[in-house]
Amino acid sequence: MKFFPKPAWFVVVLCLVPSLAQADEASLAAWTQKTVRDALIKPLAQRESRSFSRERPPPRERRVRVLATTALTDKSGKEFVPFAIDDRFGGDTWNQNVIEGCLYRGTGYLFVKIGEDYRPSAFLLGKNVGAVKGVCVAAPPPAKS
Amino acid sequence: MIRSVAPLPRWLFLALMLAGSALITWTSLGYFDSEELPPFVIEKLQQSLRFEALWMAALRVHVAAAVVTFPVCLLLMTRPLQRRPVWHRWIGRLTGTLVLFALVPSGVVLAFEAKGGRAVSAGFLLSALIVGWGIVHGVITARRRDLVSHQRAMRHVVAQMSVAVTSRTLMFVLDSRGVDPAVAYVVALWVPVLGSALVAELVSSRFIWNRARSLVVDRSVRAPRSRREVFP
Repeated sequence: MKFFPKPAWFVVVLCLVPSLAQADEASLAAWTQKTVRDALIKPLAQRESRSFSRERPPPRERRVRVLATTALTDKSGKEFVPFAIDDRFGGDTWNQNVIEGCLYRGTGYLFVKIGEDYRPSAFLLGKNVGAVKGVCVAAPPPAKS
Repeated sequence: MIRSVAPLPRWLFLALMLAGSALITWTSLGYFDSEELPPFVIEKLQQSLRFEALWMAALRVHVAAAVVTFPVCLLLMTRPLQRRPVWHRWIGRLTGTLVLFALVPSGVVLAFEAKGGRAVSAGFLLSALIVGWGIVHGVITARRRDLVSHQRAMRHVVAQMSVAVTSRTLMFVLDSRGVDPAVAYVVALWVPVLGSALVAELVSSRFIWNRARSLVVDRSVRAPRSRREVFP
């Protein structure tokens, strides 16, 4: 019996490629959710309390939604994952995109959208930090020559 | 008996408002910290503010003016200060100037960017209008020595200032009942604004005063008439 290793390997590799990609997407989403939860949602919840002020009361619950299946690349070539945070109060209705932002792969830098700009997530925790230009904006695809 | 109990609601109101004013002052200190941002400012900046620098300046002026004028206005409503006309007049002039030229204009600027949309903006603008009218009318009537009208105008000013406390309290109550914050914000503004105006008008009305006086007369407990007529 003659064995044809090359075609067999191709079949095996071809079968593995989609599942590896799916695994990568799943791990990227899980990593983004975990990082945003630990670095932003938990400190926010710890900081918030009902005070005698006109601010919005703290929500009952928050959730993270990852907005891209693969990492995007900004103008400086760094990869980031956009996300949105929803919250809800007494009822079952979720308020969508209450916080929008992005998480940078590798460095783990978190930015949140404030007005039209993006600022480090520390802003939501009370630090008066300014906007950072060019972050969280996907670079346009290279023009065809 | 009635005479001794009659001032109780007034003193209770003054005590509650002074406590509320102190609490608001305590929670407002963060507005003057350049390093740390209070949650209310963060929340506002998350929206697209048209004039961010103007809004921040207006907020600081409004908070600073309110922190000073609200407790002083409450003190001006007390008998000990009303029995000292010179003190009452000068403190009243200074406070009135601060209200008219700092508190009201900064409040109007903030009203246009109020969260909750036009309904909330309209509520804050109505409150500002009543306060502005109250101060101007109060000054005019004081100069005419028409103290009854002066008191009515000043009651409206203090009543609208008290919205700062009653509105926050109502927000607390509505939040604890699980009411949607967006709805709660509108309700917790309009109910105190209209309610305060109504209470100020009712307290000032002859109906209430005549009724109270008739009760006092019925029980043959008469206070010195001139004093009570000037300061019902």
